[in-house]
Amino acid sequence: MNVFQAILLGILYYLGNSSIIAGPVGYYTVYRPLVGGFLAGVVLGDPVTGTMVGATINLMYIGFISAGGALPGDMCLAGILGAALSISGGMDTEAALALAVPIGLIGTLLWFGRLTLDSIFAHMADKMVEEGKSDKIWIPSVLLPQLMLFIMTAVPCFLAAYFGTTAIQGAIDALGGTVLGILIIIGGMMPALGIGLTLLYIFKGDARVFFFLGFLITVYSGLSMIAVGFLSLCAAIVYTQLKNAKGGEANA
Amino acid sequence: MPDMENKDVMSEETTEKSKSAYSLLGKKDVKCSWLIWLFNNQANYNYERMMGIGFLHSMVPVARKLYKDDVDKQREMLQRHTGFFNCEPCVGSAVAGLTVAMEEQKAAGEEIDGEAITSVKTGLMGPLSGIGDSVIQGVIVPLLLAFAIDMASKGSFVVPIIFSLVMVAVVFGISYPLFMLGYKQGSNAILNILENGIINKIIAGANIMGCMVLGALVANYVSMNCGISIPQGEGDPFSIQAQLFDVIVPSLLPLLLTLGSYKLMKKGWSSIKVLILIVVIGIIGGLTGILA
Repeated sequence: MNVFQAILLGILYYLGNSSIIAGPVGYYTVYRPLVGGFLAGVVLGDPVTGTMVGATINLMYIGFISAGGALPGDMCLAGILGAALSISGGMDTEAALALAVPIGLIGTLLWFGRLTLDSIFAHMADKMVEEGKSDKIWIPSVLLPQLMLFIMTAVPCFLAAYFGTTAIQGAIDALGGTVLGILIIIGGMMPALGIGLTLLYIFKGDARVFFFLGFLITVYSGLSMIAVGFLSLCAAIVYTQLKNAKGGEANA
Repeated sequence: MPDMENKDVMSEETTEKSKSAYSLLGKKDVKCSWLIWLFNNQANYNYERMMGIGFLHSMVPVARKLYKDDVDKQREMLQRHTGFFNCEPCVGSAVAGLTVAMEEQKAAGEEIDGEAITSVKTGLMGPLSGIGDSVIQGVIVPLLLAFAIDMASKGSFVVPIIFSLVMVAVVFGISYPLFMLGYKQGSNAILNILENGIINKIIAGANIMGCMVLGALVANYVSMNCGISIPQGEGDPFSIQAQLFDVIVPSLLPLLLTLGSYKLMKKGWSSIKVLILIVVIGIIGGLTGILA
């Protein structure tokens, strides 16, 4: 990996977090390891491996949802660095997945730092409003926090990508198989957290039994996600129709 | 649902909105406000006020147009919007649009209390976040991601491109129309959405789809295996995973882990705390061989 490629990876990580690609758009695209891994692959000249590794890492974060500013695990950093280390370090997908676990945990620190430090600029915005400088509010709203975000994200990602490959490879060799094995076990359990988080929002009332239905259908039949997706659409339609029919009778 | 107090305030204040759209603001100003909201709602994201500064920023073009020559009134309006705001950003754009409309009416001389605007704003962000989080982050995104990951895990890099395009369409397709709905139709339209039968049916249906898909995700993607096997004299050791769990319900441990995480968070544990617990279980389980 040359310096230029590592810089591009740093910028890519910033973009995943930034407001330059409209906030919610970036969060649903570059921020996801599926897309971030692919883009890291493009930077390093191997989009196929990037996509494969990115997709595998994304599995860990499949149900992750950011609500109320809490985000357990930085999937963006995990996706970009995981793909990059796998491509330039020749690591297999499983090892890259294992590495993505600690990388994602470390990335969470950046998130806390950012949300804490941004308060400083919020007070700056208060002052500008007070002084009637409404034309300058973009400075504490966008310019300064985004500059700070750029430094907080692009620099560590660049350093990790540029110097990390050999260092991390060495660390893994030194730690041996047990650590890797444990990381893989943790990586396998991680999606449960994301799915549990999402359940907080939708595991309610009559819908609850369908969670178990989806689980059992998949476990026993091995149907693909797409098949279950369409089945769930039918289940939702049938359920609402039946419920309406009942309501209609009651009213008549 | 917003509480009754807010509802009364809203229905009194903004019933006639649809007639007076664009009286003081041009279409350009309104679009400008939407674009600032879309891009910058989390440009300055902080624990103190979450998206508050982004919301303030989106009101700047509105204030500058409504009170062109009156710096004091500009200040008064903007000070109203320096507070806390946090909402799912796509659906939350309806609140931004509605606020633009209320500020415009106020500037046009209608008697709207500044506090009423704030209470409408804060009263709507909770229920709208509920809808946005459960439909977009709870159903649309995991579903599309599950499809995309299935297809991309063999390396077809067209998939992430298509996924991104679909997500751009989803975000724009929700954000802009809702901003304009909030602006043109006023708070009654948003209240109607919250109470409307069809929307509630869609949400109920989406929850069912979401739950079923999440159940399938647990079966497919969470992995947790018991590594214990009990030696039984001369025969092969009895593997708890292969000969007990896999026979009754394969993926039993992943199911319990998911439900356990859900229960803990429902009880008030933070997601970070649950994450740490999972890491600890992983380390202990891995070292002792209980998990494999």
